[in-house]
Amino acid sequence: MPEPNFDDFNEEQTNTLRALVNQIIPADEFPSGWDAGVGDYLRVQFRRDLISWVPQYKEGLNSLCAESRARGAADFSSSASDVQINILTDIEHGKTAVEWSIDPKFFFNSAISHVMEGFYADPGNGGNKNRTAWTMVGFEVTV
Amino acid sequence: MSQWDAIVIGAGAGGGVAAAVLAESGKKVLLLERGKSLSFAEVGRDHLRNQRLPQYDNNVGPDRDGNPRVFEHDGHARVVQPWEGSYHNNAACVGSGTRVYGAQAWRFMPQDFRMATVYGVPAGSSLADWPISYEDMEPWYSRVEWEMGVAGDPNALTMDPGRKRPYPMPPGPLPRQGKILRSAASQLGWQVTSVPLLINSEPYNGRPACAQCQHCVGFGCPVDAKTGTQNSMVPRALATGNCTLRTQCIAERILTDHTGRAYGISYFDTNGERIETTADVIVCSGGAVESARLLINSRSHSEPNGLGNNTGHVGRHLQGHVYPIVNGLFEEDVYDGIGPGVSTATCRFNHGNGDVIGGGMLADDFIITPINFHKGMIPGDVPRWGLANKHFMRHNYRRTLGIRGPVQEIPYADARVAVDSDVRDRWGIPVARLSGSMHPETLRTSQFMIDRAREWIQAAGAVKVWGGTPGPYLSGGQHQSGTCRMGDDPECSVVDSNQCVHGHDNVYVCDGSVHVTNGGFNPVLTILATAYRAADGIVKRW
Repeated sequence: MPEPNFDDFNEEQTNTLRALVNQIIPADEFPSGWDAGVGDYLRVQFRRDLISWVPQYKEGLNSLCAESRARGAADFSSSASDVQINILTDIEHGKTAVEWSIDPKFFFNSAISHVMEGFYADPGNGGNKNRTAWTMVGFEVTV
Repeated sequence: MSQWDAIVIGAGAGGGVAAAVLAESGKKVLLLERGKSLSFAEVGRDHLRNQRLPQYDNNVGPDRDGNPRVFEHDGHARVVQPWEGSYHNNAACVGSGTRVYGAQAWRFMPQDFRMATVYGVPAGSSLADWPISYEDMEPWYSRVEWEMGVAGDPNALTMDPGRKRPYPMPPGPLPRQGKILRSAASQLGWQVTSVPLLINSEPYNGRPACAQCQHCVGFGCPVDAKTGTQNSMVPRALATGNCTLRTQCIAERILTDHTGRAYGISYFDTNGERIETTADVIVCSGGAVESARLLINSRSHSEPNGLGNNTGHVGRHLQGHVYPIVNGLFEEDVYDGIGPGVSTATCRFNHGNGDVIGGGMLADDFIITPINFHKGMIPGDVPRWGLANKHFMRHNYRRTLGIRGPVQEIPYADARVAVDSDVRDRWGIPVARLSGSMHPETLRTSQFMIDRAREWIQAAGAVKVWGGTPGPYLSGGQHQSGTCRMGDDPECSVVDSNQCVHGHDNVYVCDGSVHVTNGGFNPVLTILATAYRAADGIVKRW
């Protein structure tokens, strides 16, 4: 499966984004957010409606890694899943271990919205590969 | 001699009807539309850019760029864009909102035209009676129902004693959610009705029956069974040979001579060229926001605050509908995929609710896209991310049923459309500036309706119920109305009962602006019917 190419992101940022997406929508019997095309959706949107968000995503993804390091891990994507979940849950409750340059809660809330759009919206937007999300919820398009 | 007998500004619900009635009577009509004529493919099925979810843009205009408005809240004004809620967009294309609406075709009730008489006038409100009655409207409702084609309840004649003709078409197939709600209503002893729709349930007017798809409200119809003015009244107007439709043309102002009499309009054409043209009659059909803006922008020496605005009512009394929303979770699927979805309503609580003023209709909802469900229908106690969130969607998208309905708003003068002194659109025309909120009585009625919706969904067997009362906020949006209210007294209204602007004998308003009150129903049938009545009056008095 070809990885989405995020021109402006370094490798750590891309890996962090993938891990973030996959915590927001983890895999079960149905694919994770990233495997269902959320990364592809974001790649399209970072050049379209979310273009102004790219710098904020970089800041947010860097800060997620800083949060991981503050807890003794190398970076966010190589942290254990339960560590990732703890970090995100803390952020959701406004708790951070390091100084963020952007509002952590706002960043996470916005990322949740963007990820859900990539997963649940129509495949024409770049995500929801093979209508994975629609199959999962039972939304069938008959005409 | 004028270039046109009549210019109709705006090819939406009201303008489409007015153009057809005038053109069919032999009048030479110029129909201007600021948007485009949109094909099914152009409207598209983008789940993030449609009238139901304009997350990043909308599918029926206006364009993203160059069409700002100003929204004022708590003393702070900011520029807003067409995809933002505070913009109160409806649409900008041939057909306007009817291109993509859900097509609910409700008549207002007799009491809806006499709200002040029935309930008195609450403090701080501008509640008033219409100068016309349900009996005046009945023939025009009937005409729209039969000429455009409404599928409705076969028992309508018995249920509505004022009605003279049944619906021309029976309702479409009843989806599972409708069966569940009908059975619950019968336990509660509530009368229900099929939701009347401007959607063919059988071939009508040369177009086929509904294909029961899952993309109705917010989108175009794949088989053209949904009737909007773009596939009915506008083509009728054009078929006469008397009507010229010019799209991507935006009216700048109504032109008046030194006596203040209107003789034409100026507009910008598709190339941005400013054109002046003359007409004997001018019909404003831009919707409650844009018609008010146009009148205010048409200032003259004799009317320095705008055409028809010497008493200051143009733009005031803006109202739409607040929607109580209650969702219920069921142990089995309530979703069966049969579109459009909305099927079953009760009008039991539109009036007669003790000390509550007015009320509203309650009904099930259209099929909702999964992303819209995620954004709006997940209970607050479900985690917003992670496996639990995914599992809620996976297990409950098909097990969740929503009841919602438009609450009749109590109008007040401070909810208003003005014109901003600084911000201009891409053509240099001053833009609409919206401000105000909602009357407290509207919220009280809304809370009452929430409780009724909760009762209904609990009787239907929901194992979990959530939802609440939104607001207060400024209401307008797709149901925008009230800004050129109809009345006999020029001191308290903008147009007379013929929808002619007071003090002018040749400027009319044919859209939701003229609604004194907006009923506890989707307003489009009333917009269509009042436009029919007004245009017929113009022809008869010509």
